[in-house]
Amino acid sequence: MNDTRSISASTLLLLLKLRAVLVLVALIIVFALLSPSFLTANNLSILAKHVSITAILAVGMTFVILSGGIDLSVGSIAGLAGMVAGGMLTVGIHGHLSGAFVSICAALAVSLLVGVLNGLLVTQFGVAPFIATLGTLYIARGAALLLSQGRTFPDLAGTPEGGSTGFTALGQSFFLHVPLPVWLMLVITAATVLIAARTPFGRHVYAIGGNERAARLAGIRIDRVKVWTYCFSAVCAGLVGLIIASQLESAHPATGESFELNAIAAVVLGGTSLMGGRGSVGGSLIGACVIGVLADGLVMVGVSEFWQMVIKGVVIVLAVTVDQFQARIQSRLTAAPLSRGDTPRVLA
Amino acid sequence: MSDAVQHCVVLEARGVSKRYDSTLALDRVDFQVRAGAVNVLIGENGAGKSTLMRLLAGVELPNTGDIWMSGRRLDMRSPRDAAAAGIAIVHQELAVMDNLDIAENIFAGRELVRSSALVDRRAEESRGAAALLALGKPIPMRTLAGTLSLGNRQVIEIARALAGNARVLILDEPTSALSATEATALFHVIASLKARGVGIVYISHRLNELLLLGDYFTVLRDGRVVGDGTRDNVDRTWIVERMSGRRIDANQTRAANTSSGNEIPLLEVRGANVKTESVSGSDDLNLAVRKGEIVGIYGLLGAGRTEFLEGLAGARREMPGEVRVDGARIALHSVSDALKAGIALVPEDRQRDGLVPDLSIRENISLASLSGFSRAGFVRRRDESARVHELAEQLHIAARDLELPVTSLSGGNQQKALLARCLMRDPKILLLDEPTRGVDVGAKAEIYRVLRSLAASGLAILFTTSEIEEAQLLADRILVMTQGAFTAEFSAANATDEVLFAAASPRTTVESAA
Repeated sequence: MNDTRSISASTLLLLLKLRAVLVLVALIIVFALLSPSFLTANNLSILAKHVSITAILAVGMTFVILSGGIDLSVGSIAGLAGMVAGGMLTVGIHGHLSGAFVSICAALAVSLLVGVLNGLLVTQFGVAPFIATLGTLYIARGAALLLSQGRTFPDLAGTPEGGSTGFTALGQSFFLHVPLPVWLMLVITAATVLIAARTPFGRHVYAIGGNERAARLAGIRIDRVKVWTYCFSAVCAGLVGLIIASQLESAHPATGESFELNAIAAVVLGGTSLMGGRGSVGGSLIGACVIGVLADGLVMVGVSEFWQMVIKGVVIVLAVTVDQFQARIQSRLTAAPLSRGDTPRVLA
Repeated sequence: MSDAVQHCVVLEARGVSKRYDSTLALDRVDFQVRAGAVNVLIGENGAGKSTLMRLLAGVELPNTGDIWMSGRRLDMRSPRDAAAAGIAIVHQELAVMDNLDIAENIFAGRELVRSSALVDRRAEESRGAAALLALGKPIPMRTLAGTLSLGNRQVIEIARALAGNARVLILDEPTSALSATEATALFHVIASLKARGVGIVYISHRLNELLLLGDYFTVLRDGRVVGDGTRDNVDRTWIVERMSGRRIDANQTRAANTSSGNEIPLLEVRGANVKTESVSGSDDLNLAVRKGEIVGIYGLLGAGRTEFLEGLAGARREMPGEVRVDGARIALHSVSDALKAGIALVPEDRQRDGLVPDLSIRENISLASLSGFSRAGFVRRRDESARVHELAEQLHIAARDLELPVTSLSGGNQQKALLARCLMRDPKILLLDEPTRGVDVGAKAEIYRVLRSLAASGLAILFTTSEIEEAQLLADRILVMTQGAFTAEFSAANATDEVLFAAASPRTTVESAA
């Protein structure tokens, strides 16, 4: 009896672990049935572009959350990165316009700087991650607005005579019929999965999130690892800002507002614990897909914008509730095989 | 001492058992608490004292057995239920809220209320003041708890317990952090509580105190009751014999370490201290451990043993004093400094400082050595697994699969996993803080065997323990640490129970109380 119970429990556990995938498949089926244009190549391409935005942010933030932190500044960093690139391409530094490549590098460098700031605030000044990144959320957004006094930098396509073309390729070009941002998403996710599973850094991130004191006593340089996680998150956010600016061919200082919430939701939907230590990068990608499909699908089916928000909220709350449930089953399962004896006895 | 009056039983545990995962912490234990008496509960660390207290205080439910109060079976599902039944506990770590004043602390969670909404400050202050007066500590009610001494905080906790009309008061190691005068004051409080008919459960490692205060004695060992007696038929020897038991085979006695005394010690510490806010102590701690030697630091809780080992392991940011490994002075600013110098620590509190519960057994073991297995930035899984398996085999880690979460292991095997983590760094010096805490008997013997063979292969081993028997069984040489200073040193052959106990007791406590 014990055995059958644990078998059904482990099946349940497997289903729970795969829940994000199951939800994703279910959503796709439902929307495909409700809207004939949902599964068309054109729509899927648009959908994939939307997903890639959330996914790159979410994958980038996964390490931060796995190590027990949070990064609220990603949306603002995206906005700032777009503005830095936009400014360099159209206004230039002292009237000297920069090329696409230089602008992109500069924007990513600025993003990295914000990441370093986040990391130092958390590790060296002991500011709680929520507060530190809330601060940089405002700082980065303010900086983005200051760059143009709140105006938009238009016409990022550039002119051949100015030598400033090429920036639009980042968000608009295709490779093997797949949009470049989608490729970027896939490459970043693959690299991040590899880092998480196969490098000392990845293991250290999990260890810090699981038990920071133990990690410190195992000789792991906690501060260094944490700073890197914030840097990685920030650079991914900067890339997202650049992609959006490139797609719109203009940089707007409000770009990325509240994107951090979508990213966090995607990470949590993907099964990563906000307490840190448990979760996966692949999960964050799936979570981003769920959020993207949900948003686009609801629009296509014609659900009002207000109901969309309610539904998104319900899905997130449900996901976290199920997460707690899964943790309980899991701990029961791992304890079970060793406590099978009916009479109490001391096991050596 | 108490006369031959038969005190009536107020609280009783009948045949309670409690199991955690794979260890049986309590095995059909009967325990009686008598009113108007001090009921002493004795046992080494891991004997099951705290588990029993958690059951009596409603923190956890027993797997089998019941708890009865005055002839009525209690169905306690939370500490609230226990409090309602009149059972109060004062934990070793005091639960006083520093930011609140005394009255607020005493009535926290059951505030006196008037007009069915507002806190009745006046009533709280007058009742609180009366309670403190009865305890002989008339401290103004508006004093912030954070400004009080440890002894007075303890009194606040006792007052809180009594404000809930407790009939049973559990005191868990109440004197471990108190000064001699404070302890004496506490003993007076206990005497007045006895007179009021409160049944007191008293837990302590300090034999002198127990013999001074106790009316009824119960000894736990490995989750079972191994002794029951009243003050008249209990003495020091009775307690020590039952506490330690002679349960380890004779063939486990250690072969004497024969290395000569004139070589350079592998580990040498000079002029160190373990001072913290709560621990005072010597400024001049000196210690040397030779290659192949096992040195034990015996001492009671709060003696500063953990601080000393953590300092050596680079976990206190700065090790005061001078540390030499193999004759060469080393800097100890971080754990990785210590690991690089060849010093590795198995911490005292496995759950808090050792294990990463979300990771597998393999990942826990290799955690401190990942860069050693890495090529071009990637962990070579095959090398890692091979080395982990090798160590798991060497240490006899009993696991069905090393990919299971580390929490699936029993206490003893978790401890071995942490030992494996240290050994993977090929240390020269192994530090172990309470190496067998929360480990069952069989695994204890196993861990001793492993440590001895490691020493035989040339490691220097330094461990701390609060169990006399462990010090005697494992160490070649025993240092006694009391209140932040080394107070005595014995060779294994000379370290009898009596002399170790005597050396470790902060003697002022009992002398001034007697």
